[in-house]
Amino acid sequence: MDWTTGLALGAVGEGPNHDHETAAAEAAELARLTFESSAFTQAEQAGPAERAGQADGPVEDLIVTARGGYHLIRFVETAFDSSVFLYLWLDRAEANLAVARFRLRDLTAGLVLS
Amino acid sequence: MTAGAAEAAGTTPVRPAVEDDPLARLAGEGATGALHGPVGALYLSDGAVVHAESPAAPDVGWRLTARGRLSPETWEEAVTQGGPGYRTGDFLVEHGRLSQGELELCHLSALFDAAYFVLYPLGDGQRPPERFLREARHWLGPVRPVTVPALQREVRRRRRLLEQAWPGAAVDAAPVVPVPDADRRRGRGAQAVCGRRAVLRAADGVRTPVQIARALGRPAFATLLDVRRLTALGLIRPPDPGTTEADRPLPEAPGVPETSLLIRIRDALEAL
Repeated sequence: MDWTTGLALGAVGEGPNHDHETAAAEAAELARLTFESSAFTQAEQAGPAERAGQADGPVEDLIVTARGGYHLIRFVETAFDSSVFLYLWLDRAEANLAVARFRLRDLTAGLVLS
Repeated sequence: MTAGAAEAAGTTPVRPAVEDDPLARLAGEGATGALHGPVGALYLSDGAVVHAESPAAPDVGWRLTARGRLSPETWEEAVTQGGPGYRTGDFLVEHGRLSQGELELCHLSALFDAAYFVLYPLGDGQRPPERFLREARHWLGPVRPVTVPALQREVRRRRRLLEQAWPGAAVDAAPVVPVPDADRRRGRGAQAVCGRRAVLRAADGVRTPVQIARALGRPAFATLLDVRRLTALGLIRPPDPGTTEADRPLPEAPGVPETSLLIRIRDALEAL
């Protein structure tokens, strides 16, 4: 997903309310607010991301837990200007949140590394 | 409806619906070629959109080199060697210059970005694309095709996003003028790394959103949206309604050759 525009670049499986596009737009809004908020990004104002001049916030994940499911958002860091994140929706009864988070992290890294 | 009526209608002239242009018809035919408009072109392959380019939107090469992801030499090499076979993108991946994921992310972002400006050109009196060059192909090569309905849906959605952020199209093409104490009012440091902050910093009262996007290597639509949101926040001064956008030419991409055109011309010459 692209958090600047809310575009779903790709989707597989079942989406919340059977509607990937709406879920993408809503998740993107949440991601954007997080990314642009001073409270969540304050800690790293002179961090490596700024030195490299990249639009990479220090935020890595967003996790929303609901009674029936987990919503995981993982930001993708690229060496060119982009605003992409992965969004994973899981059934709470079957999912392992910690494992899912690590898998998503590895997936994100694999996406941009050659 | 005349152009004058559209201008008189208010801040955002209503352009012909996307369905009215030949894009849907070409998709139905499964056509291959390039649909040219006044500011850019959409490339179709078997009825799906495989590429879009517009002088308003930084292209794939510009984005990859603007922040040093690729050196200009590496990019040139890929265009020179991969371009004639219409496989510049594949060349980059095969030679380990980029991962397939990076290529897809960068290309799709550039495709949707350019397509917006092809279908909704900035400035009054611009027409949507209508000239179709059959069998024209783009030197980047196919990466991930996008269906025409998906593209049209997304372009319309982006149009609504802009309207929701700030309902005045005048800011899209005018020089971006920050209010005097914008930097202080926004709070120091915290948002230095986010794109919108970079746009505010680049606003010098001279450059338009499209020129700022080029300077930052940032998607042009994202920059338009940033400028509209910053205007809504009172950090950017809306342009004086007295100035007319029609007089202002669309900023040309300085020093960016029409590589696609050059390669087509060379192909045509070699085919003689």
